Amino acid sequence: MHRGGRVRGSGGMSPRLFWSVASLEARTHLSYRFNFWLNALVGFLVELAIAWFLWDAVFRVAEEPTIGGRDFDGTLVYYLAVILLAKLVRGREFEGAVSHDIYEGGLNRYLVFPAPYVPFKLAQRLGSMLAPGIAQMVLFGAFAAVFFRVPEAMRPTAASALGALAAVAMASLLYFLMDAAIHMVAFWADNVWSLDVAKWFVASLLGGYMLPLSVFPDWAQRPLELLPFRFFFDFPARVLVREIGPGEWALGMALCAFWCLVCAGICRWIWRRGQLTYTGIGI
Amino acid sequence: MIRADALAKTFKVHKKEPGLKGSLKSLFRRETIEKHAVKGVTFRVDEGEIVGLVGPNGAGKTTIVKMLAGIIHPTAGEARVLDYRPWERDNRFRGRIALIMGQKAQLWWDLPAADCFLLLKEIYRIPDDRYRATLHELARMLDAEKELNIQIRRLSLGERMKMELIAALLHSPRVVFLDEPTTGLDLSAQRAIRDFILSYREQHKPAMLVTSHYMEDIQRLCERILILREGEIVYDGPLARVVERYAPHKVIRAHLRRTGEPPQPTAELRALGEVVQCDEDQLCLRVPRADVARASAKVLEGYAVADLAIEEMDIGTIIERIFRERGEVQA
Repeated sequence: MHRGGRVRGSGGMSPRLFWSVASLEARTHLSYRFNFWLNALVGFLVELAIAWFLWDAVFRVAEEPTIGGRDFDGTLVYYLAVILLAKLVRGREFEGAVSHDIYEGGLNRYLVFPAPYVPFKLAQRLGSMLAPGIAQMVLFGAFAAVFFRVPEAMRPTAASALGALAAVAMASLLYFLMDAAIHMVAFWADNVWSLDVAKWFVASLLGGYMLPLSVFPDWAQRPLELLPFRFFFDFPARVLVREIGPGEWALGMALCAFWCLVCAGICRWIWRRGQLTYTGIGI
Repeated sequence: MIRADALAKTFKVHKKEPGLKGSLKSLFRRETIEKHAVKGVTFRVDEGEIVGLVGPNGAGKTTIVKMLAGIIHPTAGEARVLDYRPWERDNRFRGRIALIMGQKAQLWWDLPAADCFLLLKEIYRIPDDRYRATLHELARMLDAEKELNIQIRRLSLGERMKMELIAALLHSPRVVFLDEPTTGLDLSAQRAIRDFILSYREQHKPAMLVTSHYMEDIQRLCERILILREGEIVYDGPLARVVERYAPHKVIRAHLRRTGEPPQPTAELRALGEVVQCDEDQLCLRVPRADVARASAKVLEGYAVADLAIEEMDIGTIIERIFRERGEVQA
């Protein structure tokens, strides 16, 4: 049986090509105007409304001034930050793209291109998220500034915004690598949907999307700090609202980078084995 | 340019018994069977050649193309395309081949072709001036200049296929794999695609491997064909020789003028060949190729012939027979 051997001359992807791919994908998504605005408005408003009513009820029942270290306004601001930043991290429409390519034979096209597959998908994902994500951040950030009571201590500054941007960029890469590694199981499994659901559940629970991580018990805090999931939502949101200072930010970024390397290694390992079994169905 | 030596591919597929019992059983234990899609094929395709891969569904044509394009790994054997092992996917190899799939769109559906081409320009690192010149040449040859700025999904099937061809050839590949390039196209579009492929080959001389179920594609494009049956090559040689070897007879069909007396198949007539039909309207005789001229002359001499036609067995029918028979066909 041929073992494939090392792919020679595969190299990386040039920045120019990366940008061309991202740009093409962005243009594709921007051509669907109705879909763009519907997702932007409905997605944001529904999620915010759920957070609002849920935490309003929790605070009224608990009759406590703070929960997890934040008052009601602070909790809402945290959620606003999570919802907005998650759009730049998650890239919802692109989840499952790798397994889809494997199952439908769409991978064939990429295997014939003289460009590496995983960076190509990353560029496509970035393109699909960037334009709508930025538009929504600007629109709804402005909405929040007008309609939300943002506690003084949590008001974003230029420095916190830059720090959050860097954290989001790293989080987006980490999320992509984790998603890609899971979906590459499609080389062997007939269906990876259940793995994907499990991934999202774990990421959203342990990442601060479902609940602020500060409400977890004390014994869970240290493991949560070390696991990769908090870097998806909790970490960038807290950087933005100035709950994380420069020192903690630097440590967090280093740990996130470590997890990126781990996930990249796993991706590479799975890819090298999986593509040996690929049957290229679809042509 | 393309060389395959004992190339083979075996797939492991899961087998499941039908019904609910079978589904429950497969939760715990799965039976795997081996499917030998390609069984040690050896052939070569040189620069400027167009070789046809012909065979029934499941014969292994597309599996061979996938191995040679580097999409899948073979189970055994060796192949070299432009001196590279395709499945190692060296970028220098991938930058010089093209794969065109008639049944699967490769361009981005929601964008105009021109946008897709710009991305391909970056992928293949085509210099600006060469890109513009090649795009202009290909669009002119395919008469597709007006459709370049229309969304791919709004184009007809024939127009989309033209864009797929342009996309695949923008980087001037040295080896081109065409997998059913005219499937689903109307007659004029099929003709246009075939003419383009021949014209392109004349100018650029790539090595081309074509798979198709349409005999018109094979007859018009391919000087040489490989006939595949159950994963093995049973014939490798010129198309013309298939007809000569496997269809040793022709049919002489004479439409007769009515003379009041129906013709009789005489002993002399039977000596020329097999009498297929003999009535007051028609006389049909199956004769060996070498005897066609003599038999035709005898028919014209001996009967009141209004019109005479000499018929060849359809190449598709000949190849179908080869699909069904056992043993190798001599080239």
